[in-house]
Amino acid sequence: MTLTWPIIIAVAAVLLAPLVGGLLRGLDRKLTARMQGRLGPPLTQPFYDFGKLVGKSRSVSSRASIAWVWSYFLLTLTAFALFFLGQDLLVVFFILAFAGGALAFGALSARSPYARFGANRELLQMLSYEPILLLAAVAIYFQTGGFTVYSVFEANQPLLPFLPLVFVAVLVALGIKMRKSPFDIAASEHAHQELVRGVYTEYSGPHLALIELTHWYELVLLMAFLALFWVQPLWVGVLIAFAAYFLELWIDNIAARLRWSWMLGASWGVGIGFIVANLVLLSVLL
Amino acid sequence: MGFLKRARVKSPWILHYCTGGCNGCDIEILACLTPLYDVERFGMLNIGNPKHADVLMITGPVNWKNREVLQRLYAQTPDPKVVIAVGACAATGGVFHNCVNTLGGVDKVIPVDVYVRGCAARPEAIIDGVVLALQKLEEKRSGGVAHAAGAR
Amino acid sequence: MSGELLVSLLVLLPVAVAVCCLALRNAAAQKVLLLPAMVLLMVAAAALALRVLPEGPFALTPAAVWDNIVAVLDYVILAYFLYIGVTSRNGLVLGLAVVLAVLLPVVQFGVLGGHVAVSPVFHIDALAIVMCLVISVVGSLIVLYATDYMPAHEAHLKLERTRQPQFFFWFVLFLGVMNGLVFANSLLWLFFFWEVTTLCCYHLIRHNLTDEARENALRALWMNLVGSVAMVAGIGLAYNNAGTISIQELVTGGSALVLLPLALFCLTGFTKAAQAPFQSWLLGAMVAPTPVSALLHSSTMVKAGVYLVLRLAPGYADTSLSLLVAIFGAFVFMVTSLLAIGQNISKRVLAYSTIANLGLIVCCAGINTDLAIAAGIALIIFHAVSKGMLFMAVGVAEQQIGSRDIEDLDGLAARRPVLTIAAVIGMLSMLFLPFGVAFAKWAAIEAAGAQAGWFIAVVTFLAVGSAATLVFWSKWLGRMLSGPVVETKEPKPFLAYGTILLLVSGAVGLSIFVTPLITVLIQPALSGMGYDQAFDVAGWHLRTTFGFFPPWALFLAVAAAVLLPALAARGYRKELDPVYLCGVNVDGPELWFTGIAGEPVQATTGGAYWTQLFGEARLTPLSNWSALVLLVALLAGVILR
Ligand code: SF4
Repeated sequence: MTLTWPIIIAVAAVLLAPLVGGLLRGLDRKLTARMQGRLGPPLTQPFYDFGKLVGKSRSVSSRASIAWVWSYFLLTLTAFALFFLGQDLLVVFFILAFAGGALAFGALSARSPYARFGANRELLQMLSYEPILLLAAVAIYFQTGGFTVYSVFEANQPLLPFLPLVFVAVLVALGIKMRKSPFDIAASEHAHQELVRGVYTEYSGPHLALIELTHWYELVLLMAFLALFWVQPLWVGVLIAFAAYFLELWIDNIAARLRWSWMLGASWGVGIGFIVANLVLLSVLL
Repeated sequence: MGFLKRARVKSPWILHYCTGGCNGCDIEILACLTPLYDVERFGMLNIGNPKHADVLMITGPVNWKNREVLQRLYAQTPDPKVVIAVGACAATGGVFHNCVNTLGGVDKVIPVDVYVRGCAARPEAIIDGVVLALQKLEEKRSGGVAHAAGAR
Repeated sequence: MSGELLVSLLVLLPVAVAVCCLALRNAAAQKVLLLPAMVLLMVAAAALALRVLPEGPFALTPAAVWDNIVAVLDYVILAYFLYIGVTSRNGLVLGLAVVLAVLLPVVQFGVLGGHVAVSPVFHIDALAIVMCLVISVVGSLIVLYATDYMPAHEAHLKLERTRQPQFFFWFVLFLGVMNGLVFANSLLWLFFFWEVTTLCCYHLIRHNLTDEARENALRALWMNLVGSVAMVAGIGLAYNNAGTISIQELVTGGSALVLLPLALFCLTGFTKAAQAPFQSWLLGAMVAPTPVSALLHSSTMVKAGVYLVLRLAPGYADTSLSLLVAIFGAFVFMVTSLLAIGQNISKRVLAYSTIANLGLIVCCAGINTDLAIAAGIALIIFHAVSKGMLFMAVGVAEQQIGSRDIEDLDGLAARRPVLTIAAVIGMLSMLFLPFGVAFAKWAAIEAAGAQAGWFIAVVTFLAVGSAATLVFWSKWLGRMLSGPVVETKEPKPFLAYGTILLLVSGAVGLSIFVTPLITVLIQPALSGMGYDQAFDVAGWHLRTTFGFFPPWALFLAVAAAVLLPALAARGYRKELDPVYLCGVNVDGPELWFTGIAGEPVQATTGGAYWTQLFGEARLTPLSNWSALVLLVALLAGVILR
C-alpha cells in the first residue's frame, strides 16, 4: 500500500473529526432532550460550549494535571490518526489505553478527592472495556487474517454477519467509553453529577474544552471502529454506526447508573463471554 | 473573537447554591430544568462544580456559617462570571430580615449582577434573570473584575 | 580474546570476586573491587556477543575432570540442603532433599550409568548471549547499586558486625552461576548450576536473619527443590527415552518420547519462575534487602526458569504440551495481574508484576511461533531492564522515606523529583505501547490470536491480564506525580542513582531502538533455535504477516504527546488554585477543610485496591487451585498420549 491516500484520509479525518464529533454530541443532547419530552439545545450547542470554555480564564490546581490532559489529547489524536492511516488495530487500542491512562494520571495528580475517586473508577472502566477492544481486534483477525484496519478493507466480506456477538460486545465497550449510563461511574457526560464531575472536577476553562475536543475524537474513532464491521460498502457501516449510537443514547436514557462491580460483571460476562462464544462458534461452524 | 463572544452567552453553566433560604426558590430553579421550562434550550446546564460554572445562582439570605463557603465558591468560579441572587431573601434578607444569624442578602458577601424578585421567584422570572445576566456577561472581559451594580 | 577465555571469565570471574568479597568488610574497599570487576564482566559479555553473533554458536567442552568435580559438588550441595532441613526442622525441605538424595544417585549411576560424555558441555548460541548480556549488564549494575545500598541498609539495622561480606559473596556468585546456567548444554551441568542458584537465593533471602526471613528462605528452598526433583526425574527419563542428556539433541530430536521429560523440565522452570501455585516464594523474597529483589526479579533466578522453558520450546512445538504451556502461562499472567491490583505494598505489586510477565514469557514459549518466541525473548530483555530499575528505585525510596507502602509514596514527586521521574518512566516502560514490554505484549497477543482453536482461551487471558496491568500500574503511577511542595534536599548516592538512571535510559533507548535490537540479537537467537524470522524490518518498522508496528514513528508521536506538555507545564508559573472541597477549604494549607464543628480536617484519599474482588484472600486460593489443575493437566496430557 502506498502511503499517499492513507495520509490524505488521515489528515482529512483529523480535520473533520471535531466537526463530526461535535455534531454527534449535539445530536446526543437534542435526542436526549426529545426523549425526555424537552426541546433541547440547538444542534450546534457543543461548539458554543467549546467556544465559551476556550474563552474562560483557567484555574489550575496542579501542574502535572494540565500536562497530562494535554497528553490525553495528543495521545488520543495519535491513536485516531493511526486508525485512519489504516494501521494495526491493537496498536491503536494500546495507544488509546495510554491516552485513557493519561486522563487518569491527570486526575490523580490533582489530589482532589473527587478527581481521585473518579480516576480510580476511570481505571475500573478501562479494566472493563480494554479486554473487549483487544479481543475484538483478535476477532477481526479471525475473519480477515490481519490486525490492520487496512486488512478489513481488503477482505471481501463484511464482518458483521460473522461477528454479530463481537459487535454486541463492542457496543458494551462503546457505552463505557462514551461514559453513558449505566456505565457513567467515573464522570458522566452531560451535566449529570457523579462525584461532582469525577475526573474532570479540577479542570476548568480551556482545559475542559480540550477534554471535550478529545471526547469528540474518541467518539468519531469509536464510531469508525463500529463502521469497520461493514465496509463493503462503507456507507452501510456508517449507517450501522449511527444506529448503534442511537441505541446507546436510548439505553443512556432508560438506564440508571450501575455499581462498578456490576459494570465489571456486565462487561466481562457479556462482553468477553460474547466474543469468546462468537469465536468458538466461528471455529466450530466454519 | 466573534464566535467566542457569542458562545459565552449561548452556553451559561449554572452553579446553584442555597445559603439558607426556605428552599422555595431552589425548587423553582430546578423547575426550570423540567420539560415545561426547559432552560437547556438556551444551552443552560445546572452544573455541580464552581470550576465549570459561568453563572452563580444564589438563593437564601446568607448566614454566618455559609458566608465563607459562598466566598470560596465565588472565588473558585473562573472569570468571566456573573452572580444572580434569586428570591427576596437573597436580595435583602426577605422574610429573614434582621435575623441575627443572617447577613441579609448575597450582596453583603459577593458582588451581585442580577436580582430576581419573588418569594418564591417564579421560573419565568428566573429565566429572565439569566437572560439579563447573560447580557452583563457579554460585557465582561475574560479576567475582568468590573462588576456593575445590581439591576432589577 | 579466545572464546574459551571469555566463557571462563564470565563464569569464574564472579566466583573469584565473590570469594574476595568474603574478605572485605569495608564499603570503600568493596567499591574498589566491584566497580572494575563488574565493568570487566560487562566487557567480557559484550566481547563474547561480538564473537558469537557473527560467527554462530560457540561450543566448549571442559576437561573430563570437571564433570567429576561438578558431580561431587552436586552431592556437597545436596548434603547441605539435608543439613538445612535437619537443623531448621523443616519437613518439606528435608523430605524433598531426601527424595533428591535418593533420586540423584539412581539417575546418575543407575540410568546414566556413571559417566555420560555430553558434547559439547557448553553450547553458546545467540539466545545464551541474550541471557548472558542481561545477566552481566543488568546484574552488574545491580551489584554496583548494592554497594551504595547495603551500607545504608546496615546502618539502618544498626548491626554490630557487618554481614556484607557474606551478602556480596552470594550476590556476585549468582552472576557467574547464572552465566554458567545459560551456557550449559549438558543437563547435568545445567542441574548443577540450577542447584547453586537455589542455594544463592536461599542465602540471600535469609540475609537479614529475622524469623520471617528464615521462614521465607526455607519456603523458597523447598519450592525450588520441587523443581530440582522434577529436573532430575526429567534427566533420567530423557536419557531413558531418547538416549541423550544434551539439550540441543533433545530439542532438535523431534521424538515424541522426549515430551514427558520436557514437561518435567517445564515444571522445573515454573517453580524457579515462581509461577502459580509456586508464587509465594518470590513474594516472600521481598523480606531480603532490595538489591536481592532487584537481582532475583530482573536478571537472575526467575529468568532462569523462563529461559529453560523458552530454550526447550522447539522441542515441544506443535504438541498439546505447547498449548497447555501457553494456557498455563497466560492464566498466570492474568491472575497475578489481577492480584497485583489488590496490593498496597510496592514490592509486592512489583513481585506480582514480575510473575505476570514471566507467565507471559511462558505463554510465548507455549504459543511457539516465530513471532511469539521473538516476543518472549524481547520480554526477557525489556523486563529485566525495567523491573531491575523499578526495584532499585523503590529500594531507594524505602530507605529515604522509610516505607514500602504505596500510600506513603503519594506525592513523591515533590519530595524526590529525580527518583520519581525515573520510577515513572520505568513504569510507563512496563505499561504502554511504544515501550518494549508492551511491544512484546502486543506481539504475544497477535501471535496467540493468529493461532486458532484453544488459543482463544490464551488470547482471552492475555487481554484481561493486559487490562489488569494497566490498572495496577496506573493507580500507583498517577499518585506519585504531584504533591505538596516541601523544601527537602534529595540525597543522591552516586552509584545507586547512577545505575538507576542508566537502566532508565536503557529501558527507553532499547525501546526506541527495538528494530536493531531485533535484527542484531533476537533474530539470530530465533534462527539459532530453529525458528524463522518473525519480522520484516524494512524501514525500521516491524512488520509481520498480519500486523504492523512502527517503533520510531510511535516514539516520535508519544514523545511529543508526553514531553511537550510536561515541559510546558513546568513553565506554568502562576499560583495554583485550591482544589474543590465544596467551598469549605481551610485557607492556606492544601487539602484541609473545615469540619462540622469548625475544626480543620485533612482530606486524604487512599488508593483503591478493591480487595473484595482482587484481594489475596479471595483470589489466591482460586488461582493456586486452577494453576495446579492446569499443571496436572499438563503432565497428564503428556503421560496419557
Ligand atoms: S425568597 Fe422566599 S421562597 Fe425564596 S428562598 Fe427566600 S424565603 Fe424561600
